[in-house]
Amino acid sequence: MMYIRPIASSDLDALYHLAQHAGVGVTTLPANAELLAERIELSERSFAQRVPAQRANYLFALEDAELGRVVGVSAIEAHVGVDDVWYNYRLSKCVNASKEIGVHTTNQTLYLTNDLTGCSEVCSLFLDEPYRLENNGRMLSKCRFLFMRDYAHLFGEKVIAEMRGYSDANGKSPFWEALGKKFFGMEFSQADYLSGLGNKSFVAELMPKYPIYLSFLPKEAQEVVGHVHDNTRPALAMLQSEGFNFNGFVDIFDAGPIVEAFVHNVRAVRESRYRQALICKHPPEADESSEYYLVSNGALEHFRAILVIAEAVKADTLALSAEEADILQVEMGDMLRVIPMRYKES
Amino acid sequence: MLIRPCRAEDLAGIEAVVSENRSQLSTLPRDRAKLQERIEHSMRSFAQEPEQNGRAFFLFVMQDSTSGEIVGTSGINMNNDKSRPFYSYRLDELIHSSPKLNVHSAVPVLYLTHELTGHTVLSSLSIKEPLRNSEYFSLLSRSRLMFIRQFKKLFSTQLAVEIQGVQDDNGQSPFWDSLGRHFFDMDFATADYYSGVKSRTFIAEMMPQHPIYVPLLTPEAQKALGQADARAAATCALLYREGFKSSKHFDIFDGGPTLLGERDELLTIRQTQQKQMRRSDINMGMRYMVANQSLAQFRCTLTQMTDGIGEVLRLNRAVADLLELDDGDDMTYVPL
Repeated sequence: MMYIRPIASSDLDALYHLAQHAGVGVTTLPANAELLAERIELSERSFAQRVPAQRANYLFALEDAELGRVVGVSAIEAHVGVDDVWYNYRLSKCVNASKEIGVHTTNQTLYLTNDLTGCSEVCSLFLDEPYRLENNGRMLSKCRFLFMRDYAHLFGEKVIAEMRGYSDANGKSPFWEALGKKFFGMEFSQADYLSGLGNKSFVAELMPKYPIYLSFLPKEAQEVVGHVHDNTRPALAMLQSEGFNFNGFVDIFDAGPIVEAFVHNVRAVRESRYRQALICKHPPEADESSEYYLVSNGALEHFRAILVIAEAVKADTLALSAEEADILQVEMGDMLRVIPMRYKES
Repeated sequence: MLIRPCRAEDLAGIEAVVSENRSQLSTLPRDRAKLQERIEHSMRSFAQEPEQNGRAFFLFVMQDSTSGEIVGTSGINMNNDKSRPFYSYRLDELIHSSPKLNVHSAVPVLYLTHELTGHTVLSSLSIKEPLRNSEYFSLLSRSRLMFIRQFKKLFSTQLAVEIQGVQDDNGQSPFWDSLGRHFFDMDFATADYYSGVKSRTFIAEMMPQHPIYVPLLTPEAQKALGQADARAAATCALLYREGFKSSKHFDIFDGGPTLLGERDELLTIRQTQQKQMRRSDINMGMRYMVANQSLAQFRCTLTQMTDGIGEVLRLNRAVADLLELDDGDDMTYVPL
């Protein structure tokens, strides 16, 4: 059985393994054991409420219970731009018009902003290769919203996600080639790596501060602004199904889109419901056509989430096997939070 | 050849001169109605009409005194009208530096500026092709400095000249194509035309208002920035000799350089002298530019004279007639 729990220091090796396979463009999980150990420690202290809420970072682990091994992670940064400066470009328009001489042109501009400072960020979603099945990714993504629903006071009013921008087969970003590299000759992979080491704001501070007229960039670069890397399409689609929108913010390095939503408007936050645990000997069994629900125990430090099949979710109760109840650390009658894994089109 | 203020009847002659130019002068558009406006403007300026303060425009013509043909134009713009700021780009360098990452780089940036508003600008230089490499080119250009020398208080202490930027054989400007074009969706010639018939300020106000990072321009545009077009070589050479220097200012349309010169340090202005004139038959000596001292009836030409130590200088009768000078009048002169 797959289940989600807060990451623990014993997961370092597994996390390092994941980071090694993350690749370029995934800035929040550098393959650096020391940094990863720090990251785990920060997460442990965050779940234990032993860091100021502003600085908390919650790292969730997906464990294969049979193997006792972590095969995927995801995270919530409680508030971005608190320790350093959070930069984004905001895509704007500038219209030039004169009836007298028959001119009406629209130029897009990129403004460097710190507008998203203070937002919460969902990030660092990774799955080990053999586990890249849809439900696993979805569990890791969605569990964060159940958590945020129960502990909204720990998070910002808005939640954002930085989507990995387009880069070619050699890991080159046309946007970086056209902009960042022109200013200080650094390769994208290097900038990306430095960002992962926590130096993103240092790199950002080397970037142009005045607005950039997009039309000055080569076509290849213009075309990728606000576009995600192919590998990131499913993640984007999932966030869109939760109500995340692209409102013109893009990453300053690869111009990948930043999508955002008010926390209270995220579908999983809005539509999750309570059910009471009903531990039974023969809960309904899954078959190939089963629809699933994600269930969380609503705990903070001992947060747990698993999948159950739709038939187990009744009007007031949720039927669980003893094993499931064990993993969720709940007893008969405890309150659980449930949300469908897939939304029906409304 | 006689230099004098333009008059209403010069319209056709001026039109003929400017239509020969491959690229248009923004102060003298190829548009009869506009040319007429400019001539009238200049006539009011020479007449010292008070409303001209600040925006005066002195347009001179060079006329073949035998045939009466207009063969060249030159002008001085007061350019001190706050309602029409003078736009140029100023090139600066920004250091992008991170001690933490040990990365340091200098990035050239173009800032839109009004700094040159109030600078007297030498403009409107146009000459018939056969005369381009003659001494009359020098006469046409430098006679303005003799004029400025005589009426110094009208002009700023620093003078500016905008030099035509690089254009290819089709009249396209690589600088414009990389910059202005995105905002106008028209080619350089068309924008230039509007800049002439509407106003330079009108077009300038539609240019991007944010600073421009030079590394983001095309390599061709970067190369063109601050380069004079090959056809402006003679103009540049003459201005450098006068003491004009390149500056950090560039034309916002074609990226051409703006030369600046300290008025009182310029060669012609320093060397211009003044003496009483006496008519004579003499027709020998060194080549001089000579001018009368009238503002409204300014006249300047080339002649040969022999300058001695006396207070009085003898000038050929025909030249004196041309300059409308009588015995005992003061005249100014400078070696060619």
